[in-house]
Amino acid sequence: MSFWRLDTLFLTFLVLLTFIVSPMLGPANETVAPPFCKPLWLDPASGRPLSLNAKDNILSFTWESKPPKAFSVKGTVSFEEVPKDAALLLVSPKKTYKLMDLAGLKNLDVDIDSRDVPLKLHLGLNPFVEVSSVIFSEKGTYSLYVRSDVKAHVNLNINIYTGKWGIFGTDQRGRDVFRLFVQGIKISLLVGIFATLIASTIGMGLGLIAGYLGGLTDSSIMRTVDVLLAIPTLPILVVISGVWGRGLWQIVLVLSIFSWMGTARVVRSLTLSLREAPYVEGLRALGAPAGYILVRHFIPEALPLLLAQTVLGVPGAILAEAGLSFLGLSDPLMPSWGRMLHEAQVFGAFTGGAWWLIFPPGLGIASLCLAFISIGRRFEEMADPRLKEMTGR
Amino acid sequence: MNNYWLKRLLSSLLVIAVVLSLNFFLFRLMPGDPTSSLLDPRFSPEAKHELLKSYGLDKPLSQQFFIYVKQMLTFKFGISFMSQRPVWQELAERLPNTLLLLFPALLLSAVLGILLGVAAAKGRGGLVEKTVLLSGAISFSFPSFFVQLVLLLLLAHAFPIFPLRGSLSVPPPVGFWNLVTDKIWHMTLPVASLVLLGFGSWALYVRNLMVKALGEDFILLARAKGIRESRILWRHAFRTALPPIVTIFFLSLPGVISGAVITETVFSLHGIGKFLLDAVLGHDYPAAGAAFYLMSLVTVACNLLADVVYTFVDPRISFRRLR
Amino acid sequence: MLLAVSLLLPAQGKAAPLDKLRLPNIDELYFLIIKDNDAQLLALQGGQIDLLGDIARFSDIKSLSDDERVNLYLAEGYHAFYLGLNLRKSPWDRTELRQSLWEIVNRKQIVRDVFGGYALPLFSFLPPASPYTLSASAADFDIKAAKERLKQKGWRWSKKGVLICPGEADPLPKMKLLTPTAQVAPTTAEIAERICESMRSLGIPIETEPMDFSMMVARLDRRDFDAYVMAWELSRDPDSLYAFYHSSMDVPGGYNISGIRKPDLDEALESLKYASNEAEARVAAEKVQRLLYKYIPQVPIYSRYHIAALRREWKGAVASLYMTPDNTYSLLSLKHDSKRTFYWCLSEEPRNLNPLSAASAYEWQVLSIIYESLLAVDPFTLKDIPWLAKSWRLDTVTKGGKEKTRITFHIREDVKWQDGSPFSASDVKATIEFLKKFAIPRYFDLVKDVERVEATGNTITVTFSGKSYWYLHQIGGLPILPARVLSSLKDWRNLPEGHIIGTGPFSFSAYKPGEYVKLDKNELYWRKNIP
Repeated sequence: MSFWRLDTLFLTFLVLLTFIVSPMLGPANETVAPPFCKPLWLDPASGRPLSLNAKDNILSFTWESKPPKAFSVKGTVSFEEVPKDAALLLVSPKKTYKLMDLAGLKNLDVDIDSRDVPLKLHLGLNPFVEVSSVIFSEKGTYSLYVRSDVKAHVNLNINIYTGKWGIFGTDQRGRDVFRLFVQGIKISLLVGIFATLIASTIGMGLGLIAGYLGGLTDSSIMRTVDVLLAIPTLPILVVISGVWGRGLWQIVLVLSIFSWMGTARVVRSLTLSLREAPYVEGLRALGAPAGYILVRHFIPEALPLLLAQTVLGVPGAILAEAGLSFLGLSDPLMPSWGRMLHEAQVFGAFTGGAWWLIFPPGLGIASLCLAFISIGRRFEEMADPRLKEMTGR
Repeated sequence: MNNYWLKRLLSSLLVIAVVLSLNFFLFRLMPGDPTSSLLDPRFSPEAKHELLKSYGLDKPLSQQFFIYVKQMLTFKFGISFMSQRPVWQELAERLPNTLLLLFPALLLSAVLGILLGVAAAKGRGGLVEKTVLLSGAISFSFPSFFVQLVLLLLLAHAFPIFPLRGSLSVPPPVGFWNLVTDKIWHMTLPVASLVLLGFGSWALYVRNLMVKALGEDFILLARAKGIRESRILWRHAFRTALPPIVTIFFLSLPGVISGAVITETVFSLHGIGKFLLDAVLGHDYPAAGAAFYLMSLVTVACNLLADVVYTFVDPRISFRRLR
Repeated sequence: MLLAVSLLLPAQGKAAPLDKLRLPNIDELYFLIIKDNDAQLLALQGGQIDLLGDIARFSDIKSLSDDERVNLYLAEGYHAFYLGLNLRKSPWDRTELRQSLWEIVNRKQIVRDVFGGYALPLFSFLPPASPYTLSASAADFDIKAAKERLKQKGWRWSKKGVLICPGEADPLPKMKLLTPTAQVAPTTAEIAERICESMRSLGIPIETEPMDFSMMVARLDRRDFDAYVMAWELSRDPDSLYAFYHSSMDVPGGYNISGIRKPDLDEALESLKYASNEAEARVAAEKVQRLLYKYIPQVPIYSRYHIAALRREWKGAVASLYMTPDNTYSLLSLKHDSKRTFYWCLSEEPRNLNPLSAASAYEWQVLSIIYESLLAVDPFTLKDIPWLAKSWRLDTVTKGGKEKTRITFHIREDVKWQDGSPFSASDVKATIEFLKKFAIPRYFDLVKDVERVEATGNTITVTFSGKSYWYLHQIGGLPILPARVLSSLKDWRNLPEGHIIGTGPFSFSAYKPGEYVKLDKNELYWRKNIP
């Protein structure tokens, strides 16, 4: 049977991406750009960001693209004497805008951003207008200068932002979404695989013991299963995350505690049927200890089925984590895909049309689950060859 | 036989007792109390204490426990902290909406999944099987809120075919049939989204069961006897697969209520799921306790029901009974 | 940097002068319950709701500002977000460290990045809309000056850049900043991260610790924390200052979470709390704030603007620098060419339409239209205006050697309850006495000091056990309930729907849980009698 099918290739690709590429990208939680930037390749007509320094009184530059998203002017202005009339002006091909009044002080810190509401009101504009689209509405030459009746020493930086960054843009904290996406692979894989592994181990162990020993042990284990099934999962998860805190391993543990029951039941019924097999009676007659029978005979019998169950359980764990993150119950510092979708939804990506924040993690979860289902089905077919997907009648 | 049922009943009662006690302590384990969310500098410590008194939380813990147990056993659930209304009223308002959402969704996903699973097993190796397997896997793999939000944006905003929120128009239409159509129109998107997300696991599971059943020797015998294919499919193979299907159906009922939280949030439906989540987060002990209790009862009842129906449906057991 | 009232823009809506308000032009008022932010936005754009208040998300503001069918409004509010510190613990007990903290938070950049500019950097201990706010010429973002101040007081930095307290050998231990989780308040979590980054750049080794809101409050109550961030909805009056900064409030459940205990501050706070008139109150408020600028028990960060959106087809909204159109005055003046039904969005389930026990803002969004108080607030000047009371007088009387405040209200004669029965001073008396008798938690502090209430004809006199100017607002802002309803109540927590009767412009009609609350125009509304 060929190992290198689409699903395994895909998983290998993801693993390579996350373990080899992600260290090269830099820390995922780092703020790299202003928040809510669009991807670079979207809307190419919007121009390139500009960053200029004005040491003289006048700085001229040209702007030939669509109006930028924002601009800022930061730095210091100092005068030889206290000026009676001084202002910071931005001249566009059509109009002159007085950004700031500089009279009355000898040394001034300038910190102007086109997003500031006081600036908008100062310019006589509606507070909901995008200042940069008003000022930079024309293509042509612009200049930034200080007009004053005294000599001025100017050290200003003007930055023009186009609101673009990276492959997938930035999120509400200015983090590179592509980095988060790659980091998310690791977390989804970790949570999915470990939660299912632990759940399967617990389930198999308890199922074997219950099935083989029977009696009071069997009843008590089955009652525990019933109790755990009777407790509604989601609210308990809320309580537990409130008490234990949130974190990767808390989620893994919590997911495992609530998903071992299915495996336990299956293993138990398998053990019950195997227990009656003649060869087991023979072994017992020969004096083989229970542990020996369990480990050397039952487990190999149960293994293919268990493997299939485990691999098929991984998508469930990944989806459960996504659901928990969506409700906000996961670790905010952990950029899982579910968390990315949660933050996208909370900050209005769905209605704002920011599909580059939504489709990568969403499709990522779906394709990861598909890959695991596909692999899991092959294990199922190994365990029970009748289930093979036939290529012809 | 009767002995078995008696033991099952007793163990179910034991489970309920354990869950009951667990619920009581679990909530109070969470740090904080119902006044924690009332953060207002004008609410002095004395006023807060008055509020706690009015909730009965100034009594010693053991006394609170006895009151709690009495309330649960007599189904008189007391007053919700958050709304100051009887918990029964809150639950009664919300339960129909949740049931209206979950029951059709569960039934439709199961029916659709079963039909597709059977079709896949019947058309083995062909396009049908491939399509069903792929679509089933896809249906299972997408996160629920993702699909729901996309559907909402597509079919309620971009092309406003369906309403955005709620389970009724405002103002509500007059006349019984108008009301019914209005309700159906509102519930279409939520139910459709749940069906789209739910049919996958049913289809895959049923397909597996059917393939296994069709591979059995007695099927070969039936074919040799010349029985019609469709009869073999339904009366023989499907009948074999029915017991586990029925069991899974009943066992999946309780879990579905937890899943309703996300759907209710996205579609602004007035249901139990969100109520429960808010109650837990807001330390509304009477409301959360009552909801948990009811859900546990439903789970235990479904478990018992699954066992009962199983004995009726499993051909081997029912034949034994007939004798 | 201060927004002047004169910069009011045409886009804020033509303010209808209050004395022109009579009966509403709306016959039916629906509060549509829509809990999801996305659904709210879509409903407004689609015309299913006419008014959406409390818009917080930047992406919503952006979508709506481009939308021709909708007008956006902005107002300063009483919201205040603080960085809280535990002054009982080192290193927060050092004043120079707190003063430096003031300077290392780049409030302007936070406002730009997190809110897209739609918030005010806050440099005062009272919210921007409060008439008592004293803004000092406070230092802004200046890391150099912050470090310099610390250096001068003997602080050093370790090799890794961590601060070392003067007189200590070891650098500061790792600390945690408590913050509500992003589910409760997404922007708060972001801001907390930035504040931590700023603190780390100064040399304080601190990280955020997100936790459930009630868990956080429990930790704060136990005083088991280093620092925390919290948003508060304060009010027009500076009474919050006493709760936050007086030493007597440093008790479990009390709001002096920082633990500041300074005798001069206590004295100033007491003179504010027990001020006998407005002039004294102003003087005291200024004194308190000057001391607060010296001690800095908390660091103010920002105050959110209130942003609301109204569909353009409705004309005549009442909006000002301090109020967005989602208020009662607007409902009295809004007019549409053809429609007479208005849809207002309600973001959460109003579980409990009972003014005695209603606790959330959503319940009051509905109840404040049904019930009214003796006084109201002028949306343009924030001053008290007569409402159910046509005039009032504040006196200080001396009884038994103690100074007591006595307020006399003259009630309007032409007011009717929504069921047609006449309104009189005895209803006011009944309300105050009911609240006091049953120690209703929500009003406990407001009526605690009421000693005696007398009602004769259309005059009501309330005498208190102490002296304080704030009693006027505490009594003047109470919702008035009918004496008849109060005397028939068996349990104050249970108000049957048929007994929801007020004097306001709209009366209760129906509540369909999960869907809507419906109010009908009150044809008997008293403002129709104004000439």
